[in-house]
Amino acid sequence: MNGRTCVDTAPLDEILTRYPASEAALIQVLQDVHRAYHYLPCDVLVKVAEALEVPLAKVFSVGTFYKAFSLVPQGRTIVRVCTGTACHIRGADRLIEEFERELKIKPGETTADMGFTVKTVNCVGACAMAPVVIVGETYHGGAEPAKVAKYIAEKEADHEN
Amino acid sequence: MVTLTIDGRVAKVPAGATVLDAARAIGVRIPTLCQHEALEPWGGCRLCLVDVTKKEWRGWQKMVVSCMFPAEDGLAVATATERVVATRKVVLDLLLARCPDTPLVQRLAHEHGIERTSYQPNPEPTDCVLCGLCTRVCDSIGVSAIATVDRGAGKEVAPPFHQPPPDCIGCLACAEVCPTDCIPYQTSDSARSIWGKTFTMVRCPHCGRAHITREQAAFYAGRGGVPESYFETCDACKRTQMAKTFTSLSAVR
Ligand code: SF4
Ligand code: SF4
Ligand code: FES
Ligand code: FES
Repeated sequence: MNGRTCVDTAPLDEILTRYPASEAALIQVLQDVHRAYHYLPCDVLVKVAEALEVPLAKVFSVGTFYKAFSLVPQGRTIVRVCTGTACHIRGADRLIEEFERELKIKPGETTADMGFTVKTVNCVGACAMAPVVIVGETYHGGAEPAKVAKYIAEKEADHEN
Repeated sequence: MVTLTIDGRVAKVPAGATVLDAARAIGVRIPTLCQHEALEPWGGCRLCLVDVTKKEWRGWQKMVVSCMFPAEDGLAVATATERVVATRKVVLDLLLARCPDTPLVQRLAHEHGIERTSYQPNPEPTDCVLCGLCTRVCDSIGVSAIATVDRGAGKEVAPPFHQPPPDCIGCLACAEVCPTDCIPYQTSDSARSIWGKTFTMVRCPHCGRAHITREQAAFYAGRGGVPESYFETCDACKRTQMAKTFTSLSAVR
């Protein structure tokens, strides 16, 4: 709740300079906030409501409606393992197991160092490449459990930069 | 005026009226859940479905929500075709699955021959039918303290962060408009609470009745540019005072 955590508002201030103070900008602002903070912190939502002159209840409504938004802190990189039909048949389960083993978290959880959050998704529209794993913004088609450690290491290198 | 037929009967209504208005004007009953005369139609519950057609549509007809569809000249409306009844039943069956213990939903379902839902009943029964009347009435007074939260089966009406809503003025309009009375509140001479927020009541200086919250008085004053003290006197006492003024005025004359 308000005041529970104090997040740095500098990224938000920068985001707000790019949009008009209007309800029409709400989703774009929330997307940028999500990208900057990796979730929607509640005190940031309060400030967004004030800046765009949108009732806080509306901001919360939109923030909880879309699956792309999270209200709890998430890792810097989101790993999405597709469990749609095609990917399921081609071994999504074994990929999930491998991520669990490597990162020591279950789908829906975040690593203690806030590096990774693992999620499952239902078909990302790339069934021809099944099974598909998306690490951050990188799509890995024909993903193999043996390469999971490599997928993670590549991102970890990015985190360090 | 526009002229249309509803279940074969002729209805004449002013332009701008909806099919539902026209049906009500001639006493044809169409079930509704999310419609309220004081609010803009929303078309959310889908209970008020009807079939419409026109001569020039050559047998083609479409199902529309009567609370939003405008009455037009030459429109032929059928409120109980087989597919309308079947679709309405699906809506009620689903509502009964969501709200298995809610008397209003049970009654509507019963009227359509449904005693028990054919779906898996909600393991966490709720009385909220998600008609959106509460959030829309709150929007219409210009407050918007509550809204729907989450999506799909988990969707509910709630204040932001599920905390006492900072914007709420405690007017109780949401609770009063709720068709299933599922918004709890408490009100007495000294305090009122709703959505987990507690309000202090303003007492009328003349009759002592606690008739409005401090926040309501402040909100109405801010909106109307009238001093807050104007709202301290209750409507009944305002009328009495007005009557007295008029009587003394005519006595002078
Ligand atoms: S009581 Fe609060 S939430 Fe309900 S309509 Fe009034 S202001 Fe809105
Ligand atoms: S709380 Fe009542 S008025 Fe609000 S959506 Fe639910 S049933 Fe409708
Ligand atoms: S099922 Fe995985 S991309 Fe379609
Ligand atoms: S009354 Fe028309 S859709 Fe709800």
